[in-house]
Amino acid sequence: MNNYLKIWKITALNALQETFINRATNLLFFLGKIIRLTMSLLVLWLIKGQLSSFLTYTPNEIVIFFLTYQFIDNLSQVIYRGVYLFSSLVRSGEFDFLLIKPISPLFRSLTGRPDVNDAIFIIPSTMISVYLVSQLDLNITLTSFLWYLLLLFNSLLIATAMHILVLVIGVLTTEVDGVIWMYRDLTRMGQFPVNMYMEPLRTILFFLIPVGTMFTIPAQVLINKPGQVSMVITLLIGLSSLIVSYSLWLWSLKKYTSTGS
Amino acid sequence: MSYFRKYLIVLKLSWQNGLVYRTSLLMWRLRQFLSTLMSLTVWQVMFSGNQTLFNYQQQEMISYIFLVSFLQSMILATIMHGLAADIYSGKISDILLKPINLFGYLATLDLADKFKNIIFTIIEAIILAFIFHPVIILPSLINFGVFIFTILIGVILYFLIQLLFGSIGFWSPETWAPRFLFMMFLEFTAGKLFPLDILPKMVQNIVLLTPFPYFSYFQIQVFLNRLTTQQLITYLATSIFWTILLTIVVGKIWKRGIKGYQAAGI
Repeated sequence: MNNYLKIWKITALNALQETFINRATNLLFFLGKIIRLTMSLLVLWLIKGQLSSFLTYTPNEIVIFFLTYQFIDNLSQVIYRGVYLFSSLVRSGEFDFLLIKPISPLFRSLTGRPDVNDAIFIIPSTMISVYLVSQLDLNITLTSFLWYLLLLFNSLLIATAMHILVLVIGVLTTEVDGVIWMYRDLTRMGQFPVNMYMEPLRTILFFLIPVGTMFTIPAQVLINKPGQVSMVITLLIGLSSLIVSYSLWLWSLKKYTSTGS
Repeated sequence: MSYFRKYLIVLKLSWQNGLVYRTSLLMWRLRQFLSTLMSLTVWQVMFSGNQTLFNYQQQEMISYIFLVSFLQSMILATIMHGLAADIYSGKISDILLKPINLFGYLATLDLADKFKNIIFTIIEAIILAFIFHPVIILPSLINFGVFIFTILIGVILYFLIQLLFGSIGFWSPETWAPRFLFMMFLEFTAGKLFPLDILPKMVQNIVLLTPFPYFSYFQIQVFLNRLTTQQLITYLATSIFWTILLTIVVGKIWKRGIKGYQAAGI
């Protein structure tokens, strides 16, 4: 475990050094992320001013769904940025070098290059989120908050599983870009409660690509609203998705033919 | 005739190239489809208890989202994202040495990409129409003429901006960050998720001075006949001003870039 932490620290420091080399580039990226968050919040506030309810939620509660999405999406970007570079690893044959090293190739592929920009961005964005939530009239209790934290961890497990699945596709087809952006777009659908979508999309977003389980359920639990899926099932989905994706990863490694090299 | 024949061949080849990676193309279109589906669903839910929101009736807003997805597939579809990298790596030498105009060549590639996207958008729109039943009221013949003209301006404007981003490649390999910033602005100011006139008046006025609303928001306002004559003239003048300004700026930058461009061992 210590070795893994040490390796992650080295890759994170390398990424940090790269960030300092390309200061102007990273400043623009940071600015872009700030603009996106500001504009999203502005639109939510405008909607809040016009609506009395959205499905069965108050406009204040809708903000929680967005902020939950924002946090999980941001956090998984910080940790799993390596996935975005995976296809080039496979195509160039560099992945072979990860396979022969005495460290899990999955770990290296997932956490290859932590996104420093997102790591910096998550600090002010979380502070803003906490401040906004404190200003909203919401029914949040200590119990609901503790459950929310547990479910956020569960969401991170699902995000991990989803990123592993993208890597599996990368190993089998050498193509990752389209799939990872597809995943990002699907998760964007979780900015609003997933139960607003029509069937069968709603069921797909709860169980097949568990966007609803990642974002909608934790938000519903936090604001003490009845969820579509029980918490036990939500936690089971988190755990089982991780087990299934890890098994698929092991299976995909057996199919790997080292095309790049 | 032979002058245009080479562009026609480029168009055909580009069309065929675009269909080589079918899975990637399908995924790209599915992403666009889901984005439109999300916008339509959000607005439909918001209108479920309200007759009018932000001065829009439900049918107007649904029509707006339909039109914006169609227009953005046409105006914002481009293959020029990799232009700067092609310049920096020297790959562009291949075209510079051929008896073909570089801008004409790039415009033809873009055109093929736009055709491809339009076809898919029509299919997607038919599926979404079955779900959301939009009632799109066609504009008068004059308005339709102005609408087509504004689309043309939007296409040229976006092409010029892509050339501007591409020109970074003459001096730097770092092109993704300014493009990302541009995309962030575009996401919120071109009107894909919401019409600009829901924003506070001051923000609207500032955004309308930039080129962003002329990539779809303006065109739809013309189509839906939501502009006064004075607004139409002002926005039309602003979009033409940007087109002329960018044509001059892009011309000068490219001239300077090409002058200093060198490639060896490509």
